[in-house]
Amino acid sequence: MKHPSEEHNLIRWIDGEMNETERTAFEEHLKQDPALATEARQMRALSTSLRAHLPAEMPVPHADFFNTQIEVRISQMALDDARAKQTGTNWGAALQWLRQPWFALAGTAALAVLGFFLLNPATGDASESLILSSYTPNTNVQARTYHDNDAEATVLMLDGLDAVPAERKVSGISIQRSEVEPELASTTMYDNHGTAVLMISRDAFGNPMITPRG
Amino acid sequence: MPASASTDPGEVSDLDLVKRSQAGDTRAFDVLVTRYRGRIYAMTYHLIQNETEAWDLAQEAFIKAWRALPSFKHDAGFYTWLYRIAHNVSYDWLRKKKIQGDGEFDDERTEHRVAAGAEATPKGDLAPDAAMRNAELGQRIQEAIAKLSPEHRQVIVLREVEGLAYEEIAALIPCSLGTVMSRLFYARKKLQEQLHDVYETSI
Repeated sequence: MKHPSEEHNLIRWIDGEMNETERTAFEEHLKQDPALATEARQMRALSTSLRAHLPAEMPVPHADFFNTQIEVRISQMALDDARAKQTGTNWGAALQWLRQPWFALAGTAALAVLGFFLLNPATGDASESLILSSYTPNTNVQARTYHDNDAEATVLMLDGLDAVPAERKVSGISIQRSEVEPELASTTMYDNHGTAVLMISRDAFGNPMITPRG
Repeated sequence: MPASASTDPGEVSDLDLVKRSQAGDTRAFDVLVTRYRGRIYAMTYHLIQNETEAWDLAQEAFIKAWRALPSFKHDAGFYTWLYRIAHNVSYDWLRKKKIQGDGEFDDERTEHRVAAGAEATPKGDLAPDAAMRNAELGQRIQEAIAKLSPEHRQVIVLREVEGLAYEEIAALIPCSLGTVMSRLFYARKKLQEQLHDVYETSI
């Protein structure tokens, strides 16, 4: 076993961390110690090989999926945060964002947010979320959804929506079940307390019309 | 500390992207992910030696970075900051694995689908037999690194791959300067023992 100072000198010599005086003195020492000189040369060759064979950048397998997954998880975190903030508030407050000025500015595409979340009426189970349909009046907006049963969360991605200022508080609502009334061509959605929260119907032109309830 | 990737003159700077990300712009953050995913993944892969785990940990690092963005003060480069997060995520994973006694560190090693050494060596300059020897050496090196302890693997990656100074390694781990040099010495010694046939014949 070498003295620690000799180990450190060897490492610093390999890494080119010695100043000129130190390097000259150490190389003189190597001339006196052939075994150490051999070890030093081999270790330096190893170091060179390591640098050549361990790339600092590598292609990420399924790179697009890598990014998408991050995007999805960030959206899920935002939903979780919104859900946590929503707890304890009444639905009137939860729907406050409908009355925010940005809502009109963001375009009618935002209406699609509500149109999406229809749960399976047969089970009323939030883990059995079912996306029945999507509707984006603004054709420049593309909607995609992801559902994670473990997280009991459905993430809605709207591509093409105008930027919403970060300081705006946007929250969603949790729909536990829905009832369809064929005669009225309407769907009423209820929260987990059984309170009617929203009703979706059609206006005179056949476009979806969403009416907050309660 | 590792420097940021060089950016083209027309490319949006890290600073702009970080500020937009801090304002909640996930598209800006996506650009940062694309810009640095290859370097972060390489670091996690070299430390973990398992493609799937490295992929997950690299992703975890970006998620943690997103959550921590509000506290990012711009006093360090974004990549340096991100790199620290990725390093800590990976090293915590290694330590947990060690505590759980999951066996030797090479048990679950998976070979990256791009042959080791292929990315870092000149393409087209080597004769076929030399290229094969080079690829074999890369493979041997990866296998030898997989057998190192987490502490030794850590200093090798930080020094040989990232090119960090001893002081930077000591601050990142954290430990004393002497410990860094001792670990580097013994890590290289162990690699040398495993690859003795390569270096004894070529030197």
